[in-house]
Amino acid sequence: MADVDEGPATELTFSTRVDPGGARVVSVAGELDSSNAQMLADTMAGVLAERPERVIFELGALRFMDSAGIAVLVRTAAAVETVEIRDPSPIVRRVIEVTGLSQLLRVAS
Amino acid sequence: MGAGDSALASAERVAAKPAVNQRSGGSEDAPPASLVPVRGRGWGPSRVAVLALLAGLAVTAALTVISLVLYDRNENRLLALRARELGLVLSAAVPTIQTPVASGAALADATGGNVEKFRAFMAPEVGAGRQFSSVSLWPVGGGAAGPVTVLGTAPALATQQARAILAPAAQKGKLKVIAHLQAAQPSIGYEFSTPGVKRAFAIYAESPLPKSRRSQLEANSAFSDLNYAVYLGRQRTSRNLLVTSLKILPITSRKASTTVAFGDSSLSLVVTPRGSLGGAFFESLPWIVAVSGLLISLAAAMVSDRLARGRQRAEQLAGDLDLVAAENERMYTEQRNIAQTLQHALLPDALPEVSGLRVSARYVPATSGVEVGGDWYDVVAAGEGRVLLVIGDVSGHGLRAATTMASLRHATLAYAAHDSRPGAVLARLSDFVNSGPHDYFATVLCVMIDVAGHRLTVASAGHLPPLLIDGDDGHFIEMEVSVPIGVERDAPYHEASVVVPPNATLLAFTDGLVERRDEVVDTGLARLRDVATARRLALDELIERLPDELAFANHHDDTAIVGVQWRT
Repeated sequence: MADVDEGPATELTFSTRVDPGGARVVSVAGELDSSNAQMLADTMAGVLAERPERVIFELGALRFMDSAGIAVLVRTAAAVETVEIRDPSPIVRRVIEVTGLSQLLRVAS
Repeated sequence: MGAGDSALASAERVAAKPAVNQRSGGSEDAPPASLVPVRGRGWGPSRVAVLALLAGLAVTAALTVISLVLYDRNENRLLALRARELGLVLSAAVPTIQTPVASGAALADATGGNVEKFRAFMAPEVGAGRQFSSVSLWPVGGGAAGPVTVLGTAPALATQQARAILAPAAQKGKLKVIAHLQAAQPSIGYEFSTPGVKRAFAIYAESPLPKSRRSQLEANSAFSDLNYAVYLGRQRTSRNLLVTSLKILPITSRKASTTVAFGDSSLSLVVTPRGSLGGAFFESLPWIVAVSGLLISLAAAMVSDRLARGRQRAEQLAGDLDLVAAENERMYTEQRNIAQTLQHALLPDALPEVSGLRVSARYVPATSGVEVGGDWYDVVAAGEGRVLLVIGDVSGHGLRAATTMASLRHATLAYAAHDSRPGAVLARLSDFVNSGPHDYFATVLCVMIDVAGHRLTVASAGHLPPLLIDGDDGHFIEMEVSVPIGVERDAPYHEASVVVPPNATLLAFTDGLVERRDEVVDTGLARLRDVATARRLALDELIERLPDELAFANHHDDTAIVGVQWRT
């Protein structure tokens, strides 16, 4: 049977806050893929509308990310001065590394 | 069920249709006739409801009959008891007649027939509203002579009768009952004489009977719930009827009878209940049982009917859903076919014939979904014994990713025609994409192959490294990976140069081949390397088998694989 009605099959939660240094912190948990990346992209559009200088993605609880998720990070990186990735799981870290984005996204553990 | 069957059949028909027919047939085909919902089988009661009603009625009938029989038996038993009670009351009334008569006879004997004393003694018993209407004193054996004295009305005793009953040999010491039931004024007479040697006088008394013989029991009587008929003697005929409360005799409904001694005769008592002896509740119990049973049966039938209809509707709905699902499946398959046709149209028609090199590629669509993917590959001859291999993956899915892919693919070929160094191609491509607004990025791997020189020049824009296989040894080409296309303006695209062994195989692929949700990408890469080097396969066979060998079932991403293999 075809999964025509495949909705947001994967679970994703995220929240945003402002850290004491003024950076926007986006915590993302679960699995970020093409079925739900647009939700995060919409949230990021709101964050970027405030023209922050720095955005920090906290990915400690993110178990999986595909190219749709990377696209959200890359678009953010194009719009702000500094993007930082904090505490990615090995799966997510390697996705960023093999895509040649560890420089651009400033991955810190 | 009928609807379910036809839905299933329709689904099978759809599935059995060849794919090529489905694509072209979509617009011309009318929807299957079975798509028109098939409604229920009319509005008659369902079979279950009828069965429930019949079962309920059968039980109700049985219970009603049982309660009727029980009621009947109980009424009969109660009536028999009442008859006996009333018989006892009648028996108790006999002494009230015999005592004054016997006393009068004894007084007459004792006083030698003193008329004055006899009259004085008997006077309180005689007259209207009293026990007797007539009392007379007779000499024994003097039937023809007439009475010594008479109180009240003249006795109705005929001479013949008087002679017979007053004969000396007649049985004595017992109240003799003489009925005058056919007289104008019906009455009942009693004769008594004291037994013994001094017996000289007999006393004869008469009590009147109502002319119509009808007499109601008083409403406050203990027997007011009964109608009765009293007959003299054992014959229950109208000739013998003494008194009754009924207009019409004989009694044909429920009745009970008893016989009690009455002087030298007897009284037959027949009673019938005026209502229900057991009470109104017990009388109506069978009807209560019948009516409530009927109502319960009807309710059960209605509930069964509703349940049955509900089930029928559910089955029908399930059938309709099957039809919808089949139609969805058909449309899905159709769209998927369109997507795959488009995908193939966007990919190279043919791969170049290159001397000394086998070239092969394969595009594997995702196992589900109707979207076009953004993966592509190209292998083109670049002159001077060189071949350019390109593989790329535009982020996202759908028509936009596919058209972006198509434009990137053609741009890449155009730039390569101008300057085929991989780093330069990627840099030009990056400029092209970054020159305008865009919301995608693409990973691209560019490999310039010097076939005769066994040398590769590789540049990667965020793409997974290619696998280089030499016999049963394999490794991924290590190189500096640059950022994907469309990410960063003026990003540098580094090149790496690699010398390959004589019989090497180079495999480039997109992430769908190795990416698994629950593991680091390196694990997938290692698995690919192990599978690809396990057997020394010819390139075509290797690329054909890789997806299956990698347990590729249910992959959610499109995958492109392209490879070259040096021939000996």
